[in-house]
This record gives sequence, structure tokens and C-alpha cells, in this order.
Amino acid sequence: MAKVNASVAETPEEIKRISEQQHRILVRNQRISATIRYIVLIVVGFFMVYPLIWMVGATFKTNNEIFTTLNPIPMHPTTKGYVDAMKSYGGNINIWRSMLNTYSYVIPEVILTVISSTLTAYGFARFKFKGHDIFFTLMMAMLFLPQVVLNVPQYLLYNKFGWVDSPLYLALIVPAAFATETYFIFMLIQFLRNIPKDMEEAAAIDGCNAMQTLLKIIVPMLMPAIVSCALFKFMWGSNNFLGPLLYVKTPAKYPATIFVKLSMDSDSGFNWNRVLATSLISIIPNICVFFAAQNQFVDGISAGGVKG
Amino acid sequence: MQSVPGGGGEIVSGKFFNGGIYPMKKKVLSIILVSAMAAGVLAGCGSSASTSSSSKSSSASSGSASSSGKDYEDCTIKFDWWGGDTRHEATQNAVKAFEEKYPGIKVDVNFGAWTDWETAKAMEYQSGTNPDVQQTNFDWIGKYDADGSTYLDLNTVSDTIDLTQWTDDELNMCKDSKGGIAGIPVANTGRLFYWNKATWEKAGLDLPKSVDDLLAAGPVFKEKLGDDYYPLVVGSYDRAILMTYYLQKEVGTPIIDENNKLTYSQDQIKQGVDFIQKLEDNHVIPTIEYTDGEGVDSMDKSARFIDGHYAGIFEWDTAAPKYVAALGDAASDFVVGGELDGLQSYSKVSLMFSISAKTKHPHESALLLNYLLNDPDGVKAMGTERGIPNSQTAYDTLNSAGAIDQMSIDAHNAVSDSNPFYWNPLFDDATMKGDSGTAYYDAFVNLSYKKIDTAKAAETLYNAYAAICS
Repeated sequence: MAKVNASVAETPEEIKRISEQQHRILVRNQRISATIRYIVLIVVGFFMVYPLIWMVGATFKTNNEIFTTLNPIPMHPTTKGYVDAMKSYGGNINIWRSMLNTYSYVIPEVILTVISSTLTAYGFARFKFKGHDIFFTLMMAMLFLPQVVLNVPQYLLYNKFGWVDSPLYLALIVPAAFATETYFIFMLIQFLRNIPKDMEEAAAIDGCNAMQTLLKIIVPMLMPAIVSCALFKFMWGSNNFLGPLLYVKTPAKYPATIFVKLSMDSDSGFNWNRVLATSLISIIPNICVFFAAQNQFVDGISAGGVKG
Repeated sequence: MQSVPGGGGEIVSGKFFNGGIYPMKKKVLSIILVSAMAAGVLAGCGSSASTSSSSKSSSASSGSASSSGKDYEDCTIKFDWWGGDTRHEATQNAVKAFEEKYPGIKVDVNFGAWTDWETAKAMEYQSGTNPDVQQTNFDWIGKYDADGSTYLDLNTVSDTIDLTQWTDDELNMCKDSKGGIAGIPVANTGRLFYWNKATWEKAGLDLPKSVDDLLAAGPVFKEKLGDDYYPLVVGSYDRAILMTYYLQKEVGTPIIDENNKLTYSQDQIKQGVDFIQKLEDNHVIPTIEYTDGEGVDSMDKSARFIDGHYAGIFEWDTAAPKYVAALGDAASDFVVGGELDGLQSYSKVSLMFSISAKTKHPHESALLLNYLLNDPDGVKAMGTERGIPNSQTAYDTLNSAGAIDQMSIDAHNAVSDSNPFYWNPLFDDATMKGDSGTAYYDAFVNLSYKKIDTAKAAETLYNAYAAICS
């Protein structure tokens, strides 16, 4: 063995040959491993994406075909679903209008939620004030309170304020300005705990006040978490069904969630292709927003979850 | 530890806090003040806006009432309903026609799907913001109008709505605790069998005429067509209704009478449960475990129903169109089954229209209702979107215009010809009908899964009825 090794290492060509051989083995092993990994990923990925593919296929099927076959490719394709999806209800509301309505309250909601949650989280994470612990406990308790129990008192209150059926969606937007999304506050606090205080202290020495520190130091460092909050709020807000159902009473003001449901009457039955087509169209903006912010989003969630 | 407030490096952080806390306190205070102010301004805006709009509408109405000779005031009334596409379209058209016929009355409509609709309405009742005219459910009288103060007694506007188009029996069903008519029964509905003719023919059988025929069909289906063919398919709520139909024939009284009294003993209920069990044992109906395996919530989504493996359903007389649509090319095999010997049907109000007791415009609201339910133009626009109308003139108008499809007429007649019994809304009480934890589910699902025997299922049902009935 020793002799072989010695002879192997003798000439530069031999060394090169051996290293090339080893390199080839390495490359081959990597390829095999990559192939296996990709096969697994593709198989698992296919199962995960399949419902979405099926949904796209189903928009071109009739009810009869939807419920009798698993094949995503329609055998008797029809575009009636999309044609019906474009229909308006009495000229008051159509799919585009409803999507516009959705974003006209979701975007303010997102902005206000982000601002109010960041402020609140900053307060809880960086300042000791009287009642800090009690307020923090109360906030955590709110985290576990289901929305259902809030519906009635909130409705009565907003009704007193005259916010029910407000053309500006006040009942949906205004609460977002008061940091009502406790989950985000919690997430941001967790994130803030991982950010060392040194920079803030340096900023304080350089003469920043608390607000400047927040804006110039904390917010840039918090960005991944803030983006996650914004995305979550964006998704929840645009998927919110009960909120608009309670507080929007004018068809022309219906958001997409209500619009999609309008035709779904289980008593008389309905065309699923229309419902699926409307759903598909109305989730496109959400998917685009998600992909655009995907990297930041994933960073934010994982960073918020890790605690050393 | 480093990052936790009050942890390591206290001196530096303490300095920082001390330096920052005074301006921060001010800031926080100012933010709180600003937001409180903003909230106040917004709240003020909202309420003042609503009061100004209401005062506007009232001033407008009083202004024009004096100026014109119409027998109604100019006003805006609110009207809402739930339903699907075709109902939305038909009702909106009818409302538009109404606005043309009665210029000056503006109708603000609001409509949606049934999902969570009742949740939203319950909150409106609680806060007193329910609209002037409303499509209501039969059991809402008991739920939201227990003291008779939610819905207007329609006798007070009988000069506007022609109540003679409905029979006294129909109107009496919609009475509230004070004896006022809380709603107009738009249509009645009952359950009946629909058969898939082709499968019955394949089994070499005539469509069943009695319960005995049905019981005898099970083994034939099994033998000739195979284990996965069944003459009928029923879910847990369907079983409760079928059991009731059976018992109503056996005992001769409605299960819960007009005085909210349960008329059956536990032994009698056990007979009914035994009957359902016998259907299952005889291969007439599949077990719930078997139907659950397909994971669909109604049969129009079931591949086994669509391809004819289930040769019958027990459904509302208004439900035919959805099954016809689901069957596609095989729709012609789908037929209405007549009354079966050995069963006694009931019929119930499928839905009502009510006027809010708080409305400022009872006369105009009544005008709208009369237009939608009795006026030939309104009736034609509304069609049969809410079932075959009870109103005599509406029925005649639609029938002579050929606006009712034959299958719906057949189904409707099959129910009304069976001399249906009275039906008490307590039958659908939230403790009876629903998912796990409600009586019908617990009794029939557990029985079908063989977790309990018929005696235990009967006990579950009897105790649940006894708890809600006086």
C-alpha cells in the first residue's frame, strides 16, 4: 500500500490523474444525491401543488365532471365558468370592483397594523414602565382570545360609532391603528429580543431620541419581521369573510371574499366552475405579492422563531 | 440574557433609559392624545354622518308627501335576503320594477350567501339595525322574535298586503307569541323521494310504492347489481326526518305539536329508530361510515349518486334542480317519487318575508312585499326562486305563464297531496340538528357506526326532545 501511494504521488501527472478521478467520483456522487433529492422533491411537490393544478383544471369543467373525476385535465372543457365570473350582480358589483374594494381596505389595514404593532412592540421590548408586566400579560391573554367572542361587543360598539356599513370601511380599518393584532406584537418583540442593544445605545450617545432610534436603527433591522407581519396581515385581511359580512351592507362595496361566496347557495346548487374561476382570479394579486416578498418573508418567520 | 431588559450591562442600558424616558413619556402621551382625538373625531364623524343622512331622508319624505297626491311617502327602505345567483338576479329585477312602479321609494338591497348570514343578522337584531324588509327563516320567530317585538305584526298593514292570498293555516304557522303574524310564508316545502329510474330498471324492479317495497328492494339490489348499489341514501338529518315520517304514520300525530309538546314516548321513538336500523340491515341504505368515506356533504357532489350507485335520495321538493344539474346527461332518469305507503309527511315554511317592527315606513315596506308576492309583474320577476309560491294569485300567475318547471310542480304536488302534518320549528333546534354533539348526529351516526344500539339511540333522541319540548 505504501509503495502504491508512494508511486501515486511521484509524478505531477499521477497526482493530477488521481485528483481528477476523485473529483469525478465526487461529482458523480453529488449528481446521484441531487437526482434522488430532486425526485423526492418533485414527487412531494407534485402532491402539494396537485390541488392547485386540479383547481385550475376544474374551472374549465362542469359540475358533473368535477365530482366524478380526479383528472385535472378537463375532458369537455368549457369557459362558462370564466364568462359567468365576469357577470355583475345588478350592475352593482363585479369581480374587478370587488377586488378593488378588498384592497381599498386591506392596504390601509396593513399599513396601520405595521405601524401600530411596531410601536407597541418597541415599547414592550425596550422600555420598563409602570404596569409593563400587567399590560404584557393582558396582551398575551388577548393572543389566545378567539375572534368569535369579540364579534358581538365589537359590532355593538361600532354600531354606536356609526361605522356599520361605512363607505370607508371604518369598522375594518380603524381597529388596525390600535395594534389589535397581538400575534404580530408578540412576533416583533421576540425578534427585538434577538437584536443587541449596542447599536441603540450608540445611537443614544450620538443624540438620537427614542423615536429616532426606532426609525433609524430598529426598523431597518426589524425589516424582515415587519415584512412578515405585513404579508400575514395582507393575507388575513384579504381572506377575511366575517368582518366584511358584518360591517359591509351595500353590494357595491362588497370585497372579493363576499363576492366569491355570493353565488354559493347550497339549497339550489350552483356552478362550481364559476366559483373556482372567481376564486382563482381573486387570489392572483395575493400570490404575486407573496412571491415578490418571499425571501424577506421566509427570513422573517424563521428569524422570529429562533431564540438563543 | 444580554438582550433581556434588566439583564447584563445594566449601567449602560440604565443610562440609555434615563436619557430617553422623559422625551419618550411625552411622545407616548402625545401619541395617545392624538389617537384618542382621532378616534373621537372619527366616531363623531360617523355618528353625525348617519344622523344627518337619516334626518335628510325623513325631511325628504315629509317634504314630498305633502306635495304629491300619492298614497305613499318618498323614502328609502332597506331590504335583504340570502340565496344564490339566480335568486339575487331575479329579486334585484323585481326590486327595480317596484322602484319604477312606485317612483320616490328607493330600495337599498343587500344580499349574500347563506354561510354566516344568520350570524350577521343575529347581530343586527341584537343592535336593532335590522333592515325594514327582510327574508327570514321560519325558526327565527322563536329565536329573535320571542317577545314579538322584532317583526311587525302584518295584520297592521293588511290594508296594503293582500293577506287573503294565503290560507289561514299558512298564516297561523307564522304567528309569534303575541298572536301577530311575524312573517309571510313565501313557500312551503316538504321531503320526498327522488329515484334514479335507470338503476331501478337495471335491478328489474318497479319504483317502490310502499315502505315494504323499499325494504324488499335492498336484497335485490345487492344480489343483482352488487354490494355497492343501494336503493336509497340518507344522512343523519335525513334519517331523523324519515323516522319522523314513519312514526307520524304509526302514531298518527305530529312529533311535536302546536303547543311545543312531544307526542311520542321513548318506546315509540325506539320503533322509529328500529325502522331506520332495519333499512340499513336490509341493504336499503348504506351505513354512514360508507357514505362518509366519500367525504361529500351533499349527494349532488357524490360520484356514487351521479353514476347511479345510489338509486334514490330523500330531499326537499325544492331541491330537484340542483340534482338535475349534477346529473348532467343522466338527468332524464331522475324522477319524483310519489308518496310511500307507511309514511306520513310533514311540510314546513321554507322561508318568510318579514317587516321590522322598528321600521319608519311600514306602509311602503308592505307595498314592496305586496308587489313581490302578489302583483303579477313582481311575481313574474321573482319566479320560483323561493319555491312554488303559497300566494294563490302568484301561483296562478306563474302557472298560467308556464314559469314553473314540471319537475318542481310534480314534487310540490307530491308533498301537498300527501296531506302533510304540522311541523314545529323545535324539530330543527340547534341542540337537535347539526354536527357532533347534537341529537340527530349523535343518535344516528353512532348507531350506524355500531357504537350504540337502537335503545340507546332512542334514549338520546327522547332526552333531547324532552329537554326542548314543554
